[in-house]
Amino acid sequence: MKFFPGCMIHNRYPGIEASLYYVFDKLGIKISPLEGSSCCPAPGVVKSISEELWIELASRNLSLSDEDILTACNGCFTTLLEASSKINGVDVRHVAEFLYREVGIEEIKKRVVKKLPIRVAVHYGCHFFRPSKSKGMDSEKPIMLDELVEAIGAESVSYRHKFVCCGGGGGVRAAATEVANDILNLKMDAISAAEVDAIVVICPLCLHQFDVGQIELREQRGEDYDVPAIHYIQLLAIAMGMDVDKSGLVHHNVVTAELVEKLIQGEIME
Amino acid sequence: MISREDIKALNTCIQCGTCIGSCYSGRFTALNTRKILMKFIAKGKPIEENDAIWFCTSCYACTERCPRNIPLTDILLKARRQLVKEKGLPGRLDKAFKALLKTGSLVPAKDEHAKLREDLGLTLYTAQFRDDAREEVSKIVEKHIGGLI
Repeated sequence: MKFFPGCMIHNRYPGIEASLYYVFDKLGIKISPLEGSSCCPAPGVVKSISEELWIELASRNLSLSDEDILTACNGCFTTLLEASSKINGVDVRHVAEFLYREVGIEEIKKRVVKKLPIRVAVHYGCHFFRPSKSKGMDSEKPIMLDELVEAIGAESVSYRHKFVCCGGGGGVRAAATEVANDILNLKMDAISAAEVDAIVVICPLCLHQFDVGQIELREQRGEDYDVPAIHYIQLLAIAMGMDVDKSGLVHHNVVTAELVEKLIQGEIME
Repeated sequence: MISREDIKALNTCIQCGTCIGSCYSGRFTALNTRKILMKFIAKGKPIEENDAIWFCTSCYACTERCPRNIPLTDILLKARRQLVKEKGLPGRLDKAFKALLKTGSLVPAKDEHAKLREDLGLTLYTAQFRDDAREEVSKIVEKHIGGLI
């Protein structure tokens, strides 16, 4: 498979990529980076300006690979999957649904060397499961991510507004940051009430929105939530034996010593 | 840009309000999907300078739930494109699209990000870091929206 990084993973959260290579190496699945790729381009924001630009850049990215393409970003997944169906290109997978559907929960449980008994709020991100038809997902309440986090010993805590958008998509973070942060504010109130150790996402744009947005909420509104956000693949890599340091978590804007300690300790499997 | 099929679909709207009831952004803003789509698009009125149209996160909740299967989100994105044609690129998106033209990335890497990749044992391999690929991407961006940036 070819790994398509997209802007946010290659340029902001590379720990996701390092973790993904670690996991796939352990699983014995061959993966290498899609060299020379550009912005996917981001579906909401680029389609808002030019659909012709959107399809041509997406087609170029798809044409760089004759193998299936794997993404770890909901926006890249949406763009490349949709463009691929229009031009009859290669198959496009998102790492979360790939792990769930192709590797399987039981196999993942077997690969865990260190259980991570933490409480987490999972956030799917809208574009992981919608539009639902092309993705073959439940359009209202998917369960994949809940099962994936439980497979590594974490508890997926039920919380209010679980399926509400992070606020960052569709160009809203760039074009109307206050609106993005209003939505985040609502989401964070609910997550804070659920008393979790971390927010688990499967999209680097959602990660960025939770990670940088919390700093903005603190500076601009005095709202101090301090709940770290982490991509599932980073947690899985740690559960499969990767050093916490190498997962990139410590480079996020919001990190707590408590979470890092819990991830380092874990519960070593016999 | 807004096709006859779009107008036909919009005219099957039964005004149930499921779209605005499902809208996360509409909880906080003046974004009223139904009003934008019905008043400005179905009835052919010009989409005035309406900031609210930029508040849609394109989450597709309204589209998924619409009992008449109207492709609301896609029509709203088309309406944005029409607005851009008339009024140009919204100022706050200018920087991102300039970056796309110049680097092939809406969110390009700066030195600190390149350094972080290096620290994690990762190479720099996207179009931003390959001259031929970057030029190829720049040409595509220039061709479609060069006049807007």
